Amino acid sequence: MADSLQLSALKIEAGSQTLVTGVDLQLARGEICALVGPSGSGKSLTARAMLGLVEIAPGVTRGTLEVMIDGTIHSPEMTGDSRARRKAFAKVRGAVIGYLPQDAMSALDPLRTVGRQVALTARRAGRDQGPTHWLNLAGLQPSVANRYPHELSGGMAQRVTIAQALARGSHFLLADEPTTGLDPAIRRPLLDELRRVADEGVGVLWITHDLRAITGIANRVLVMSEGQIVESTTPDQLAGGEVESSAARRLIEATRRIAAGRLG
Amino acid sequence: MTYTARVGIAVLVAVVAVGLTSPLGAWQAALEVSPDIAGQGPSPAHWLGTDHLGRDVFARLQLAAGAFAGPGLLACAVALVLAVPLAAVTAYRGGVVGSATRFGFTSLAAIPRFVLVLLVLSIYGDSSVTLALVAGVSYVPMLGEAVFERIERLRGEEYVLASQAHGLSGARILWVHLVWAACGRLIGRHLLALFGFYLVLETTLSYIGGFGVQEPTPSWGNMLVFEWGRRSVFDPALLAPGLALWLTLAATGWAAEALGEVEHG
Repeated sequence: MADSLQLSALKIEAGSQTLVTGVDLQLARGEICALVGPSGSGKSLTARAMLGLVEIAPGVTRGTLEVMIDGTIHSPEMTGDSRARRKAFAKVRGAVIGYLPQDAMSALDPLRTVGRQVALTARRAGRDQGPTHWLNLAGLQPSVANRYPHELSGGMAQRVTIAQALARGSHFLLADEPTTGLDPAIRRPLLDELRRVADEGVGVLWITHDLRAITGIANRVLVMSEGQIVESTTPDQLAGGEVESSAARRLIEATRRIAAGRLG
Repeated sequence: MTYTARVGIAVLVAVVAVGLTSPLGAWQAALEVSPDIAGQGPSPAHWLGTDHLGRDVFARLQLAAGAFAGPGLLACAVALVLAVPLAAVTAYRGGVVGSATRFGFTSLAAIPRFVLVLLVLSIYGDSSVTLALVAGVSYVPMLGEAVFERIERLRGEEYVLASQAHGLSGARILWVHLVWAACGRLIGRHLLALFGFYLVLETTLSYIGGFGVQEPTPSWGNMLVFEWGRRSVFDPALLAPGLALWLTLAATGWAAEALGEVEHG
């Protein structure tokens, strides 16, 4: 059986409020699956739950996560108490499922040079190559290694987090709006980088607002609304407006208005 | 690093080095009583003159640095070992244990340190080691509270979450990102303050007498009181220990400049 990631019946509750419910999701290595939806629809929360990083209170996350790698099934307990969950997810985080944060600048330790941070991740993965190797793979000059995060542009900082993900060697990658807030001119090269990472055999779940960027990058698209996945479609269908759910239609309509310069 | 910070560090290193090594060399000149040369001014043989028992003031000044250098460092080590791991781990884990630890630090910080020191000395006897231990322990709440507050504030930061997502263990995140990178300078400044506190404490106790380093062993405090009233305040025998005390205390403040917070942006 091919390596895959399978999330089933994910449900996240906070008090009486249900934030995410009935989310099923598969991911194969080598593909990019875009997860789109309005703000607050539960996209980032879903990604964090897959890393065991939703800690509102014990027992609020339910569902099963199964990751098959080289015939071994990793199935960290999502429901158990926080200590058991921490232990189970410690084996999965980074090594099996990696993370590309939304705001790269705040996802880097402001008090350490980026080289040392990349080296730390590489060491955790047991890899010998120095930080410049990974920075280079992510399209950065070796001199960047000696800089602190505040000395980088937003695009460079995001490339550093890509270098960290590459150094970590994760089989799957959860990219949480990695290009939000970046200049359009640097967005495309970063997404091409993401595509290249996927082509080398990493399964990527790409959370994004940017419907126009999906074509040519993502293999398929999931639309999320109010804590549920309401539609599974392809980039071409999305671009052609051939969608069924009202949530997808609203997203397409909003994107067209923005493109036409009519905001709101 | 600023020039002030460099000067501060140089003074501290010199004073501590003299304090740790002078018992090997200056001992005899500092303690040898020679009534025939008592109360003399500076001369080539005695750079800062002699006290009223004819002992060399310069040698005593050096030997007196030993009264606080070693014990001061011991006090810092005690505070570091007792406060930092406890504060860091409990702040990072949070929960009831975290709240209880913080409550403990805040409550214990309210105990007047000088009274605590006098109390412990009168119960367990007066030795440099006891004084160093109690000074170090009395500083634990202050250092612990500072480290606790900072780590509690930073543990929810995005970069801590990202490090968890990269699969770094809690221990590694705590040590590398939170203690070393985020609290290193803070801890350094507190230890300098504690070293200064120990110097003031020792000097005060030996000045008052009854506690601290006792005659004939010199300390800057008992050197001052020993010559007080016997000669002008501008005489080197009085001026030198006073200036040395001021310079060393000021140096702890100057050196702390090197450990200021890094400003970004």
